[in-house]
Amino acid sequence: MMRKGISKRVGSITFSYMSPEEIRKLSATKIITPDTYDDDGFPIDMGLMDTHLGVIEPGLRCKTCGGRVDQCSGHFGNIELAMPVIHVGYVKEIKKLLRSTCCECGRILMTDEEREEYISSIKHLKHLGGDSLDMRALTKKISFTAQKSSVCPHCEAPQLKIMLDKPTTFREDSRKLTPKEVRVRMERIPDRDLIPMGMNPDVVRPEWLILKVLLVPPVTVRPSITLESGDRSEDDLTHKLVDILRINQRLRDNRDIGSPQLIVEDLWDLLQYHVTTYFDNQTSGIPPARHRSGRTLKTLIQRLKGKDGRFRQNLSGKRVNFSARTVISPDPWLSINQVGVPMRAARELTVPMKVTTENIEVIREMVLKGPEPFDRGKYVPGVNYIIRTDGRRIRLTETNAETVAEKLEIGFTVERGLMEGDVVLFNRQPSLHRMSMMAHEVKIVPGKTFRMNLAVCPPYNADFDGDEMNLHILQSEESRAEAKVMMMVQEHILSPRFGGPIIGAIQDHITGLFFLTYQNPLFTRREVVSIFSNLVIEKYPESVTLDDERMWRGKDIFSTFLPEDLNTEFSSSICENCDVCKGIECDKDAFVVIEDGKLLSGTIDESAVGAFKGQIVDKIARDFGTDSARLFIDRITRLALGVITLKGFTTSIEDEDVPREAKKQIKDILLEAEDEVRKLAQSYNDGELEEMPGRTLKETLEVMAMQRMGKARDNAGKIASKHLGMGNNAVKMARTGARASMLNLTQMAAALGQQAIRGERPSRGYEERTLSHFKRGELGAEARGFVKSSYKDGLNPVEYFFHSMGGREGLVDTAVRTSRSGYMQRRLINALEDLMVYADESVRNPADTIIQFKYGEDGVDPMRSIKGKAIDMDDIITDLKAFKRGGK
Amino acid sequence: MAQKDTINALIRRGVDEDTATKLAEKNYLLGDIQSASKKELIKELGKKKGEDVYKKVSKGKKKKKSRTKKKKDKKKKTKKELKELEIPDKIAPLGDIAKKLIEICDEKGHELPRKTIQDAADKIKEIELPEEDYELMLDLIMDRFESRRVDPMESVGIVGAQSIGEPGTQMTMKTFHYAGVAEVNVTQGLPRMIEVVDARKVPSTPMMEVHLIEEFKHDREKAKRLASDLEVTNLIDVADVEIDMADKEVVIKPDMKKLKSSNIEIEHIMDQLKGVRGIKGDVEKSGKTLKIVLPEDEKKYASLHETIELAKGTKIKGLDGINRAIIRDTGEEFIIYTEGSNLKEALQMELVNIENSSSNSPVEIYNVLGVEGSRNSIIKEALDTLNEQGLEVDVRHIMLVADMMTNEGDIKAIGRHGISGKKTSVLARAAFEITSTHLLRAAIVGEVDKLEGVTENIIVGQPITQGTGAIEVKYMPKKPEA
Repeated sequence: MMRKGISKRVGSITFSYMSPEEIRKLSATKIITPDTYDDDGFPIDMGLMDTHLGVIEPGLRCKTCGGRVDQCSGHFGNIELAMPVIHVGYVKEIKKLLRSTCCECGRILMTDEEREEYISSIKHLKHLGGDSLDMRALTKKISFTAQKSSVCPHCEAPQLKIMLDKPTTFREDSRKLTPKEVRVRMERIPDRDLIPMGMNPDVVRPEWLILKVLLVPPVTVRPSITLESGDRSEDDLTHKLVDILRINQRLRDNRDIGSPQLIVEDLWDLLQYHVTTYFDNQTSGIPPARHRSGRTLKTLIQRLKGKDGRFRQNLSGKRVNFSARTVISPDPWLSINQVGVPMRAARELTVPMKVTTENIEVIREMVLKGPEPFDRGKYVPGVNYIIRTDGRRIRLTETNAETVAEKLEIGFTVERGLMEGDVVLFNRQPSLHRMSMMAHEVKIVPGKTFRMNLAVCPPYNADFDGDEMNLHILQSEESRAEAKVMMMVQEHILSPRFGGPIIGAIQDHITGLFFLTYQNPLFTRREVVSIFSNLVIEKYPESVTLDDERMWRGKDIFSTFLPEDLNTEFSSSICENCDVCKGIECDKDAFVVIEDGKLLSGTIDESAVGAFKGQIVDKIARDFGTDSARLFIDRITRLALGVITLKGFTTSIEDEDVPREAKKQIKDILLEAEDEVRKLAQSYNDGELEEMPGRTLKETLEVMAMQRMGKARDNAGKIASKHLGMGNNAVKMARTGARASMLNLTQMAAALGQQAIRGERPSRGYEERTLSHFKRGELGAEARGFVKSSYKDGLNPVEYFFHSMGGREGLVDTAVRTSRSGYMQRRLINALEDLMVYADESVRNPADTIIQFKYGEDGVDPMRSIKGKAIDMDDIITDLKAFKRGGK
Repeated sequence: MAQKDTINALIRRGVDEDTATKLAEKNYLLGDIQSASKKELIKELGKKKGEDVYKKVSKGKKKKKSRTKKKKDKKKKTKKELKELEIPDKIAPLGDIAKKLIEICDEKGHELPRKTIQDAADKIKEIELPEEDYELMLDLIMDRFESRRVDPMESVGIVGAQSIGEPGTQMTMKTFHYAGVAEVNVTQGLPRMIEVVDARKVPSTPMMEVHLIEEFKHDREKAKRLASDLEVTNLIDVADVEIDMADKEVVIKPDMKKLKSSNIEIEHIMDQLKGVRGIKGDVEKSGKTLKIVLPEDEKKYASLHETIELAKGTKIKGLDGINRAIIRDTGEEFIIYTEGSNLKEALQMELVNIENSSSNSPVEIYNVLGVEGSRNSIIKEALDTLNEQGLEVDVRHIMLVADMMTNEGDIKAIGRHGISGKKTSVLARAAFEITSTHLLRAAIVGEVDKLEGVTENIIVGQPITQGTGAIEVKYMPKKPEA
């Protein structure tokens, strides 16, 4: 009896080479005729499409096994070659064998003692655990030493130099060796002599490398396609095999009637060419075989090789069923753990359910409702298919629902549509890290897009400008369990890359919380109700009474969502890094203190709850578990949106307004800088400029100009930001880390500054000048890409050109970068994929080589570390204090 | 073509064109002529010319011997010069508190990393924790530490690769960046990262950071001395080199100021010039100028020019490969940054602090200091590159890459020629690059793929052997009693 649920594993795969006898034995039929189909469209016997080789048309039966199209996977055939030909894949091996064995007696060119010594050294290497590659290096060395002797130590025959004319012609001292002669020599090599040359006599005899019989793949491997017009179009392999058969026949005929040697040899060479291209149509040295249309044929090796080859296209990655793809859109009402699946997709995608004694009645009920049931307009999962115990599939329709439901038996499998709460995988390409594919719970939503919570955008690197994502439905209980335990979004709040949160508040969430907590504003009853109407709350915030009115403070509202025993301190994003930090007394409200789950001071912004930086999120996820962290993120994001909808938030071009006198100051700074650069250029031209150590004069000028220009922009920015205070919405966003940066703002308000190409001032374009607007040899600021205007003022044409140069560089950069870093990652993954931590914390590869004795030298999981540190001592001290308080 | 090459080769060796063409036309190859005996050549060309060609071209046994001897001598000389370097123990000694903590750990059987203990000790010192609380503290640490451990069977390799690869998309392509030192160009960003992982023999911008030994680290003069000793100085940098057409000589007028500032003696220049191969003739000193007097038969315009070019490019002092040395005052000490690197010789210099001077090339460090050094260098370079871009990546991931690259005792690149090409599984190799060759070879060797890695199992279509796939738990439901 087969044990259910326990699948057998393939233990190992042994590679070997087929002998001619094996090929003949394997062959279902000999192939003789180069024709494929007769006039009625039936396969010709002993032709390439012979039905002994399997069938590709429905209705026909395989003559070998009697199976139909879907039952018979095909059988091999064989072609008897009139004359032997060389296998292209092994020319190098054949050359090696010819050179290192005697041309007369076929013995390896070394004494028996030497041979035995080498064999034992190979054995020794194997014993030491040498892999096939070490072996290859050793055997290469051995055969190389053998090739050196010019006289056979066994029969004392002088050895002539064997040359290889690529791709497949061997010459012995300019005399051509026919494949037949080569084969004879191969036959003479005794088994034991093969071992030192790296061949395994148990699996291969060298004469087999010269082909006498050719294996013909089953038709199922090279199906012909019937075009709409009724014409048949054959597969590339079939075309090639036809060529081989034709030439083979002609060669045989000519040989048998005793044609001149020359003709026979020409045909022989032609046969060699066809067999060569049949294996590899990109063999260097010969023109590739082409289709009538001029397209090169895709033969055996081409089928395997490269990105579109069998290996990378069909074996390392496979297409799957039970998946869906559509555009994504945001939905703040979902939890981070959820994904909104449109109804239509939910109806189509199915989950298999095994019918058991426990659930048969429930399932029968479901089946009765048909494939698309609704309950008072609400979605209810339907059943699409029923799979009987004999493997037959029945599609459920409105009409057959009742009859099928009656026939339902234990052991059937029912494929039902998605249900709320089902665990599915959600993925966005490029899948650069494991957080690119996480498990979500299904929530059925109207519309046609997948919906997701905004806080999970960072791990997927998603936005909503048309991004599409994929959904995969898990098909077994084991996979669902695994996904739920390990792949749920909440399990990935902390990134293994740096041991910090990767999921957290973004953009408006941060602005919202800023409004809630900055300077601790008061909220009226109406406002608080309005904010809380977005959420489910478990406790109420403390209130204060002012002028007989009950009011609520922002920080108290926020504290409602903090776990009760949370203690932490850190500085906000808006912190200005004053010389002396006043800590909790900070007059800018930039120092966060949380004591026993109460926010005492500080503003909640990016460094508290943001993705990548959020310290509160980090702490909750670590100390209170992922459930609390998920709840926290779900709640504060909604809270933030409540606040920001209440307060309203906008930014406009006015936000970049600076007073007239500031504008003047900025202009002065820029003009002054320009002037200085002009002087620099002047002193360069006069040769008065002092060279920097190890730089040419020109380089010195450029470096100095670059520095000066950077300083000018910074100073201009400083003036501008002095006038852009916290009352400014754009500034609020930049400072809290919600969106944009102060640099962006100064570029809008003050000046763009120096444009750089490859980190240098633009210097090419026209002869000795960047644009035709300048004199030749001009080296001043404006001639070399300094942009004085701000985005708000607008750029003049010359500046616009320079700005475009910088912009172009950015675009090229991204294009080049993605491909380069993609390849680097592929290589890294390929090199490290097999490494695993064992129970003793050592890292090993499948060959059981120890790579690290203790993972990361301390056995700590980076995801669980605190920014790489195993333990945060401050936490320990707090614990210690708490312990003592409680203990004593 | 071959004939032309032969002619050129002969002319280069001083044979006149006529003779060379004659020989070439008779289908002699250079090798033939070199190994031909004097008699043969005389027979071919007549006495005078035959002897001449023999002298110039032949690889006579006599000459060969002397040359090898010379080489040996040289080797011996350099070997003698190499100092045995004592690499000091750099691990900071443990403090009293830390020692006490370790004692407690040993007693209780706690196993904690040294770094954690050091951190704990620092904290204790900071808040002045009484000694009786040490034990409690360690218990608390141990509690937390347990929960921070990696799970067994975790596929740390893939996580590591992803953690390094993913930020790659965020790195800049910009090749050059003035990293701290405005005068030295350093490759940064993604290209640098690729370079490190590729284990290039020579990075695109080799660099050294040279520290001075403890006692001179604040000494500007000594730093300057060292910098000028490191930097390659060619003759043209310190002297005017001219041709005296009248006497057909090369005249060298050293700039005394420069000589003094870089501490060079005229005699030293003479010695260096004498050592240059290709400068024929004598180097003579007359007052403050030097002269290269060519032998009578060489007093030709062409050879004068050849000589002057050779003389100009003659290295007077410095280490090969170091183009520039720049002194930087960090406030704490003087550090010398060099463009180009030659760690092996730099470490031999007197003023160099071997403890903390290093090169930015892991391969060079491997050659000079060994694998462990290069492993640390890979970690440092990769981490610096990432951090410079403002990207946070845990060291553990990078350590894993470095350990993988240096696992076999030398540096292996990540990629086809390095680690990936060395995998034991045929299918895994075939799936990466160069598919067909691997499969063909596997067939005639009779290789066995044991399906232990990830790719192989995916190809075959079965669960991989990591994570939950590494553990076999089978559940056999009890048959319901009928």
